[in-house]
Amino acid sequence: MADNDANLEQVILTRVVRLNAKIQGIVTGLVAGLGLFVATNWLVLKGGKYVGLHLSLLGQFFIGYRVTFLGSLVGFGYAFVCGFVLGYSVAWLYNWFADLRQAK
Amino acid sequence: MDNDTIVVIGAGPAGLSAAHEAVKLQRHAIVLEKRDKVGGLARTENYRGYSLDIGGHRFFTKVEEVNRLWRRILGQEFLRRPRLSRIYYNRRFFYYPLRPLNALIGLGFWSSLRIVASYVRWQLFPHSREETFEQWVTNRFGKRLFRTFFKTYTEKVWGISCAELRAEWAAQRIRGLSLKTALVSMFLTPKKTIKTLIEEFEYPRLGPGMMWQAVKEEVERQGSQVRLNCEVVGIRRSGKRIESLTLSNRGHDEVVQGAVFVSSMPLREFFQKLDPPPPAIVAQAAERLQYRDLIVVCLIVRKPDLFPDNWIYIHDPTVKVGRIQNYKNWSPDMVPDGAKTSLGLEYFCSRGDALWSMADSALVELGKQEVARIGLAEIADIEDGCVLRASEAYPVYDAEYRAHLALVREFIDGLENFHTIGRNGLHRYNNQDHAMLTGMLAARNLILGEHHDLWKVNTEPEYQEEALVEGDAVLRALEQALARVFTKLDRTALGLSLGTVSAVVLFAATLLVVVKGGDVVGPNLQLLRHYFPGYAVTFSGSFVGLAYGFGSGFIGGWIFAALRNAALFLYLARIHRKAQRRLLRRFFDYL
Repeated sequence: MADNDANLEQVILTRVVRLNAKIQGIVTGLVAGLGLFVATNWLVLKGGKYVGLHLSLLGQFFIGYRVTFLGSLVGFGYAFVCGFVLGYSVAWLYNWFADLRQAK
Repeated sequence: MDNDTIVVIGAGPAGLSAAHEAVKLQRHAIVLEKRDKVGGLARTENYRGYSLDIGGHRFFTKVEEVNRLWRRILGQEFLRRPRLSRIYYNRRFFYYPLRPLNALIGLGFWSSLRIVASYVRWQLFPHSREETFEQWVTNRFGKRLFRTFFKTYTEKVWGISCAELRAEWAAQRIRGLSLKTALVSMFLTPKKTIKTLIEEFEYPRLGPGMMWQAVKEEVERQGSQVRLNCEVVGIRRSGKRIESLTLSNRGHDEVVQGAVFVSSMPLREFFQKLDPPPPAIVAQAAERLQYRDLIVVCLIVRKPDLFPDNWIYIHDPTVKVGRIQNYKNWSPDMVPDGAKTSLGLEYFCSRGDALWSMADSALVELGKQEVARIGLAEIADIEDGCVLRASEAYPVYDAEYRAHLALVREFIDGLENFHTIGRNGLHRYNNQDHAMLTGMLAARNLILGEHHDLWKVNTEPEYQEEALVEGDAVLRALEQALARVFTKLDRTALGLSLGTVSAVVLFAATLLVVVKGGDVVGPNLQLLRHYFPGYAVTFSGSFVGLAYGFGSGFIGGWIFAALRNAALFLYLARIHRKAQRRLLRRFFDYL
């Protein structure tokens, strides 16, 4: 039992965490997707003369995205994919760098 | 017969459990006990019909195998008893485990204020090094609380100043020091169960000896022997094997042979009796293992009820007694006459010192005086008394014991057909249940060829009573989860990964806009120039962006990981400290 304790302490104090790339990708994707979905609909509901002048600039990267309800769904898709790719990449690269450093 | 006989030295919990296990595995066992009754330190003595427990043995275990054995052996004879144990200090009683409010009220306003001030002072300016027990406790509770509730009793138990007692010893007694305990107790807090375990305990109707008498009878029913009044005076060794034991049975010497041997006798005594002796360095190491002895002065008082506690810790420095047991409150059947009460006054001492050398009559007189001084009974009401002596009751964890024990262990591990077991056999502060477990595992090692490391069977009862009431499987799963959740982020790796991704994103975004072209290229992306001087939405600017993206991503990732790690360790340190304090409140249970 004492050894188990020592092991756990050893693990916590010395090892570095490994990230699950898929989970990180999904979570980042969901956060980004929902963020854009909510931000878009917020502006849509707010209304006004010019709806989402700045947010609509995202259309430069997300072809087909507009600050409308339909656009918010398109934006969700884009943002989710981008978020997933970014989150997955960060986690994958993190693990790769961490392994590399540990191997040293 | 000797081809498959397991010979066990000592009929305490460890020895009898070894024999019981051997019998279960269809082996013949011979248990040799120097006293006239079984139970070892957990025996129940009898004086004029009064059952007397040496030290008070609560029955609690998380070892399911032990628990099953206890229940099967005693069944309905097991009582569930309410627990009350208070501290006597400065003519007042304080609840134990310590209750802050009760302690503060009992100590009075000014004392309480000074204790709080002292606590704050030592939290702000603690001892920079925790080398002694005094420093260790002071850093957690403040000097005043240490003096009030820790100093006197600890010094009575161990006979040395708290300024000499090493902090390591306290750390060993408080399992809460382990990070695992702190973490697990944070997630697993079955409060109802904890309350039950702290406020109630199980106990055989006639004391712990009842259990060991029943185990003895069961072992004998299976054809094995438990021989009383048989002192082992010689242990014959041939190379790496124990060959035989020489007994002294009421003045007659006898040789007992066996296939395998198990001993629960104190290691020092074992090496003194080993023939041929071990190498000098091992023998010297064994000689240097220290023990603390115990005298119990039993008093019979003509009063039906003296106090409601099962036992009282006596912190008062004006008396020598360390703890007082009220046997009637352990089990009403411990007392044959309901109109009377039997008390056990425990004096911690060392063999040969002034207390140990006192005559029994003088000790009884001392007990009477002290019980009267404390105010628990009138001298006139004390009708009789007797004295019980338990030598080598507590293995001492002094500064050198680890080194000595390592040498001793190395030699013992080299013996092929032999194991040492129990509290004194392993020089480890094992409680009854762990002592039993060492006996069971030793039998399995020697009979079935299993490879249990008996030295790793640990004490740590505090943790079990406090938190470990869930199944082991749950704990293991939790432990794995904790190891995942609470491990550090690699700052550099996170910096590099975020840097790389940021660089690629900025590079790609810039290039995309550049390739797309138009009258005004990327007017909004250009705004990044405010933060990234030299950056432009051009082909060459995309490379500048690449560098900036990497730099800013790296810094962001590195800082995030550093802050997350710092927050994590602060959090761990906090719960660790909290767990220590919580367990320190019940420190004396572990002495």
